[in-house]
Amino acid sequence: MLTAEDQMAIEQRLGDFLAKSEAQWSALVDKGGNLFAQKGETGALDLSILSALAAGSFAATHELAKRLGESEFSALYHEGHGQHILMSALHHECLLVTIFGEKTNIGLVRFYSQQVTVSLNELLHIAREKEAAAGPLLLDGDFMNDTAAIT
Amino acid sequence: MAFINYSSREIQLKIVYYGAALCGKTTNLVTLHKQITHAQKGELVSLATDADRTLFFDFLSLNTKTLPGFTTRFQLYTVPGQAIYNTTRQLVLKGVDGIIFCVDSHWEKMADNVESFANLQENLIENHLSLVQIPYVLQYNKRDIPNAAPVNYLEFTFNNRANRTLAFEAVASTGSGVLETLNAAARLLLAKYSKTPNANVTGLAQPNAAVTVPPPAEESQVAPGSAAA
Repeated sequence: MLTAEDQMAIEQRLGDFLAKSEAQWSALVDKGGNLFAQKGETGALDLSILSALAAGSFAATHELAKRLGESEFSALYHEGHGQHILMSALHHECLLVTIFGEKTNIGLVRFYSQQVTVSLNELLHIAREKEAAAGPLLLDGDFMNDTAAIT
Repeated sequence: MAFINYSSREIQLKIVYYGAALCGKTTNLVTLHKQITHAQKGELVSLATDADRTLFFDFLSLNTKTLPGFTTRFQLYTVPGQAIYNTTRQLVLKGVDGIIFCVDSHWEKMADNVESFANLQENLIENHLSLVQIPYVLQYNKRDIPNAAPVNYLEFTFNNRANRTLAFEAVASTGSGVLETLNAAARLLLAKYSKTPNANVTGLAQPNAAVTVPPPAEESQVAPGSAAA
């Protein structure tokens, strides 16, 4: 659960990270593939698909790490010709996914991603504590009628 | 687990299609992608082999306005059915909110179906979950084959618990029962957030309590696209 304040705080951290690292796009995604917050420019890319694939890719790598006796590979880097992706593990089952191009380099992006990871972990911790203290979301309606149908 | 974003007024829910190899999980998503016209849908992504066998998962995202004041984003996944991909199935189940279990109606696939259902329960335990916590519906697929197992037999085999869940007959390749199955799963999930107490919200769906679109046919216990009686 993210409140508007949580969202703003996370997006601000992501914005700072992008400004410093000169990366193109960055997002907070959970390991189930949900997109929590994002900042930057990806053009017409479908961000749901991007999040699902990133989470799947990281999950597969995590499983490889386990089999090699590592608790986790904390970061995963995919290098392309013009665009690259860096994924970093966060606490609370989350990931930081960053896309960057030729304006910057992996060293710079990784350096600043390690910094933003610390502050994102703090924000996630606060959000989780708030979530635990808050009551469940309850809405009107029972959603069992035809008007709620997906068509 | 459902993700609620109060800033963008969005709820994200993950539904996983589970079942034995070649039971029709991917076909369900392909058909949904064609059938759905009103909900905002994303591209259908398949991580498959050259022979169109699911290697990791298929993925389809649907944005709906089923909740007042919220956008509901349903993230639909399939798992690879082949036995060797069990680790992958465990990964796809991470963060699951609801399950659609597809049963292949071929007689000779019954052992595979049963094994897959047991495998689902084992893999949920690996993810610290169980069918008691997660809403799920059954889909008896391939009802058009000449020698399909009788629905009563399928009900006895897969839906023989104290709390029976909703079950639907379907022919995923033609679209029969596909949307109805998804809607039943979606409603059971959304009912978790209803102020109105509902017997289905935390555990198994109970027959006759929820989806009745269209009403069950009199001659069949489970009619195409309808809830089990």
